[in-house]
Amino acid sequence: MISIKNLSKSYGKIKALNQLDLEIAKGTIFGLLGPNGAGKTTLVSILNGLLDFDIGEIEVLGVELGANLKSIRKRSAFIPQALALYDNLSVIENLRFFAGIQNISGTVLRHNLDYAISVNRLEAILEQRAQTLSGGQRRRLNIAIGLLNNPELLYFDEPTVGIDPESRNQILETIRSFKDDAKTVIYTSHYMPEIEKLCDEVAIIDHGRIILKGRLATLLQEEKSDSVVFELLHSSRVQLDAIASQNDDLQVVDAATLLLVRQSSEKVGQLLARLASEEIAIRQLRYGTTNLEALFLRLTATGAADV
Amino acid sequence: MFRAMLVKEFRLVGRDKQALAALFIMPAIFILIMSMALKDTFDSERALVDYAVIDLDETAESVAFGNFLAADKGLHKYESAAATSSERQSALREGLDFVVEIPAGFTEKLLNTPAEKPIPLKIYAAADIKKEMLKLFQAKLLSGVQQLRLKDLKQELSPLLSAAALNLAATKFAGFEMSVKEIVTVHFSGQLEGQRPTSTQQSVPSWIVFGLFFVIIPLSTIFIGERQQNTLLRMRAMHVSTPVLLVGKIIPYMVINQLQVCLMIGVGMFVVPLFGADALTLGRSLSGLFMVSFGLSLTAVGTAILIAVSVKTVEQATTIGGIINILLGAIGGIMVPKFYMPEVMQSLARLSPMSWGLDGFLDIFLRGLGPVEVLPEFLKLVSLGGFLLLLAGIIFERNLKTV
Repeated sequence: MISIKNLSKSYGKIKALNQLDLEIAKGTIFGLLGPNGAGKTTLVSILNGLLDFDIGEIEVLGVELGANLKSIRKRSAFIPQALALYDNLSVIENLRFFAGIQNISGTVLRHNLDYAISVNRLEAILEQRAQTLSGGQRRRLNIAIGLLNNPELLYFDEPTVGIDPESRNQILETIRSFKDDAKTVIYTSHYMPEIEKLCDEVAIIDHGRIILKGRLATLLQEEKSDSVVFELLHSSRVQLDAIASQNDDLQVVDAATLLLVRQSSEKVGQLLARLASEEIAIRQLRYGTTNLEALFLRLTATGAADV
Repeated sequence: MFRAMLVKEFRLVGRDKQALAALFIMPAIFILIMSMALKDTFDSERALVDYAVIDLDETAESVAFGNFLAADKGLHKYESAAATSSERQSALREGLDFVVEIPAGFTEKLLNTPAEKPIPLKIYAAADIKKEMLKLFQAKLLSGVQQLRLKDLKQELSPLLSAAALNLAATKFAGFEMSVKEIVTVHFSGQLEGQRPTSTQQSVPSWIVFGLFFVIIPLSTIFIGERQQNTLLRMRAMHVSTPVLLVGKIIPYMVINQLQVCLMIGVGMFVVPLFGADALTLGRSLSGLFMVSFGLSLTAVGTAILIAVSVKTVEQATTIGGIINILLGAIGGIMVPKFYMPEVMQSLARLSPMSWGLDGFLDIFLRGLGPVEVLPEFLKLVSLGGFLLLLAGIIFERNLKTV
């Protein structure tokens, strides 16, 4: 589906991509992770033909990118993080406009419109102006626009930013359903639990190179170690940061999760006592396992600030 | 593809109340206000000089002299009390241009002792009076004095001449008493015999030109909005090329510009007369009119797109667009007619596309000319518009490569 060999791209003296190699199989939901400035946006822009590259070989949908850009674009879709739609147009007017500029008409238009509308549950709001929609509805419209050409390959750039949990789940459900239609999804996000739930494979990109790639389950299995995951109740990020600042073996994964590396009974006991003193309840302890965020933190030196 | 872009663009403009106001309501109101404000500017019957007379002579001749001045419609006589020095100062400060004092014994000395120097008339002039105005007023006074002398001479000669000679002299003297209207007829270029250009005819073309350039603001702000919201990026990812994107902008806004021209002409023809000013009449060449408005529109749209691709924010586009519009208008003879400008400014005006458009429209509306005569203006406007669009396209492409 996608084959990238020895891809390099520089902005002046800055190497955004450095001899990057990547293979993505058809029908995969593929998570592309990396700290800010790692090269994710550059890679996705190149794959969409929005940016030239210096050297390398790229095949998308089985054909060479440069010479077949038009046909590739007809079979793929890019769903940007920013809501790329017209606020002053209604939902249906937005859909018809973006279909029109792709020269989609007739029965194909009707079929694809129906598909984009039903998959994203837009039936009830077709006549509403985009500016009057909720954040989640606008995100769904943003995705629906990308489905108008019924693409085989979809690029998603942080599609759930700034929306409520219910809308987030609806969108993830929609994306998961693409797998049943044999579509391939390239998904970039900073939100690790989302990637864990959604993706079959992931690649972590840092300083323009792929530093880890594989099936998510396998990677997490291999990462099994002497660590303990503390899943907590009624905790806050501020509290956990304060606790972690006094313990070099402790990492804050999120507001409800701590990761204790190089564990020992003594360290676990100390941490349990500390949590009790802070009145933080424990939902679950998991020995010898990790999660994607912990793996990401371990591999990328830039740390939690970028996540 | 084009159809989708045109429909989208019209919908966006149609739903943008500020854009609609800037494009249609503002120019219409502008035309109305300016037509009313300039209603009398080009009226030759309008009084240009306000004056008062202090007659200390109080003879039949001095009254006749006053009547001679009063008969001129270019002069407006004020019956103000300006006899004392303070009254005079006050009147001149408050808007009176001249006070003419006919001294006691003026006509007696003028007519009865012609060999001697006459007692001069006194003119008190406002401090800000223009030199040309003073010269014209002095000439008018001199003409009045000559009239008095001629009348007197006629009366003196009548007992001395034979009937035939007297008739001849009377006929010739009568010639000196003719008004300017009787001996001079004025023909205005492009007008039918007896017709004169109206203020509406002379001013509306300026505001049409100015109104067309208002398209800069909605076009550039919508374009920047599309860039900021990534809809342009999305369109490129859907394989829409730069030329298609630009043409998708150019066509709708040129159509909007032509609608503006129709609206503004309609206001000039049908609304302005309702407020007491003259109605606008179309020239004799609709094709010439279209050529000029097409050229102007292309330049306005080219300017707008160039601004849109060169700046980062909507605020910048609004400010720069507004300033460019006003500057081009100011130097292009929109706000102040070019013939009022000094030579240097007139040379500068020739560089403004608004000036080219205005010249073209004046050829059509005022001088009754056609496509051949407006061809130079049309070519200049189309060339500039094309150049601006090409430049905008190059900058747009260059910016895309640094995504």
